[in-house]
Amino acid sequence: MEGPDGRTTTIARIPGITPPDVTVLVTVTERPGSLLELHEEVREVIESAGYSVEFIFLAHPDTAALTTPLEPLEEMDDFRILITGRRVGETGLLRIGRDAARGRIVLTLPAYRQVELKGLAELVKHVESGAHMATAYRSPREDAMLNRMQSRVFHRAVSVLTGRRLKDLGCGVRAMRREVMGDLPLYGDFARFLPLLAMDRGYRVVEVPLPQHTRDRGARVYGPGIYLRRVLDLLGLYFLMRFTDKPLRFFGLVGSLLGGVGGVIMLVLFVQRMNDQGISERPLLLLAVLFVVLGAQSIALGLIGEIIVHLGATGRRVYRVREDGHS
Amino acid sequence: MPETPSSSTESLEEGVELSVVVPLYNEEENVPHLVAAIAEALEAHSSWELVLVDDGSRDGTVAQVLEAASTDSRIRLVELARNYGQTQAMQAGFDHSRGNVVVTMDGDLQNDPRDIPLLLETLDQGYDLVTGYRKGRQDAVITRKVPSYVANRLIAALTGVKVRDNGCSLKAYRRSVLQQLNLYSDMHRFLPALAAASAAARITEVPVRHHARRFGESKYGLSRIAKIAADLMTIKMISSFRETPLALFVFASIVPLLTSAVVGASWLHRWMLNLGEHREVVTMPAVALILFALAAYLVMLGLLAEVALAESRMPVARRLPR
Repeated sequence: MEGPDGRTTTIARIPGITPPDVTVLVTVTERPGSLLELHEEVREVIESAGYSVEFIFLAHPDTAALTTPLEPLEEMDDFRILITGRRVGETGLLRIGRDAARGRIVLTLPAYRQVELKGLAELVKHVESGAHMATAYRSPREDAMLNRMQSRVFHRAVSVLTGRRLKDLGCGVRAMRREVMGDLPLYGDFARFLPLLAMDRGYRVVEVPLPQHTRDRGARVYGPGIYLRRVLDLLGLYFLMRFTDKPLRFFGLVGSLLGGVGGVIMLVLFVQRMNDQGISERPLLLLAVLFVVLGAQSIALGLIGEIIVHLGATGRRVYRVREDGHS
Repeated sequence: MPETPSSSTESLEEGVELSVVVPLYNEEENVPHLVAAIAEALEAHSSWELVLVDDGSRDGTVAQVLEAASTDSRIRLVELARNYGQTQAMQAGFDHSRGNVVVTMDGDLQNDPRDIPLLLETLDQGYDLVTGYRKGRQDAVITRKVPSYVANRLIAALTGVKVRDNGCSLKAYRRSVLQQLNLYSDMHRFLPALAAASAAARITEVPVRHHARRFGESKYGLSRIAKIAADLMTIKMISSFRETPLALFVFASIVPLLTSAVVGASWLHRWMLNLGEHREVVTMPAVALILFALAAYLVMLGLLAEVALAESRMPVARRLPR
């Protein structure tokens, strides 16, 4: 497996050790508290629920220093720190963690505390008892007015675009079967949308309320770049879920709208020309031609997309069969 | 691959002759009737199986199928993880069926299983795909029959595969055809054309009975015309130009290229005549250049398509004479 930075990121599985029940992937990106405390608390919670646990802390070069206090723990077989060569984002860290994880169940946990850690065992139990993924939502929750509004707009947009309602995509605390995680596209900035992607592939996802951690409360202000990223993420997700096997439906629609507008303008100009008005100096003519050309380009791109999909369809199966229950 | 709970008997595991594949979506009430009708129609047939594909139904369809399967080991359930649509349900049925011949039909009892023997007989006359066309179709005229008539004519004209009724699900396939079919998007509407393009299938059609819907609701509507228009372009692309996409794009570039030449020449002509007077220097030359750019762009896209195709052509190219 090639990592995002081009290096090999597969970690050799340690032989002679029984795989743990749960792998906890801790992504160290922003606003972390004490990682030592975090590790101890989570280990306590999971182990007292009766599961064996392994920890993988994942960090970027610029957050690597934060993991230094953890280094003595690497003596243990069930503790690892992985540091990427360059920033790969939350999603990239999770992808690397997924490839290194050995547990039946993978628990993703941002290093900054979003929820009270006592509830983590509950997520694991949901996965043990039949769900493919259990994702936490912060409840009860207190946020600044601004953040609440942002969150509402974001979740509304998600539900309009994908037809699926989720309560808290911003909460990265999730437990899932490892093979489910392996089946989801972890690229771009899709980590946020893991529950949606899982549902789209037919997996059962449950939402579990966990109390928000006090440190997660309060106002958070983001730069405009972050909002742009969110919008692009959403569009990417929408395209992925709706049109990956029928690109012409998308490009064809865009193309016929553009071409249609251009055509109407041309028709108007044509009528004017018939009434002896000169049109050769009208900028409107230029606009009409541009629209028609853009429309034609869009449709042509869609056709190329269809060729690629058709060629890639050999042996590819979109559907998944439900393999449990009933028997 | 998951098997049905009613673990099929040994004799069935090996070489079933005929598989009947039926996609089901919320057909709870129809399942018992469907199963009975098929079993009755195939009484004389020695070796068959019925593969019922549940496409993420929200009603009791799965329970009904399981009940039927518990008393008849020839009935098998393939349960999809969610609702994927008819194309994927059919593909799942094809993948999980084992017969040398596969017959598909709708789960709403509008097709009549008593027509299956006729399809099989016709297949034996040397065809790879036999498709039914509905005689005396029992559907609304304006919302169903007219759009369907137009669509079938368009498909025939565009692909050269003349099938009167692409929308009739009652069809019989040889396994060899299915092995070369990969269904995606909503391609179930164009199966004959796709089979002709991908598997060079010999296709014929026979008249079949058609009944009005007894239970449940129809799952089609008028709202799909834009989607079908896009799919039609796709199927034309695939059936006519999958080997030579460059030709299509070069062909498409002729119109903008000629228009560009005409506009450019007429502007140049006027420009030469009106030397010294007020001369138009922006719009017309720009129009000519934009159209020329489109032509160039289309040719480049055609080349890109050839690149994409080169990959799939590799195995053939590697077969060098010794």
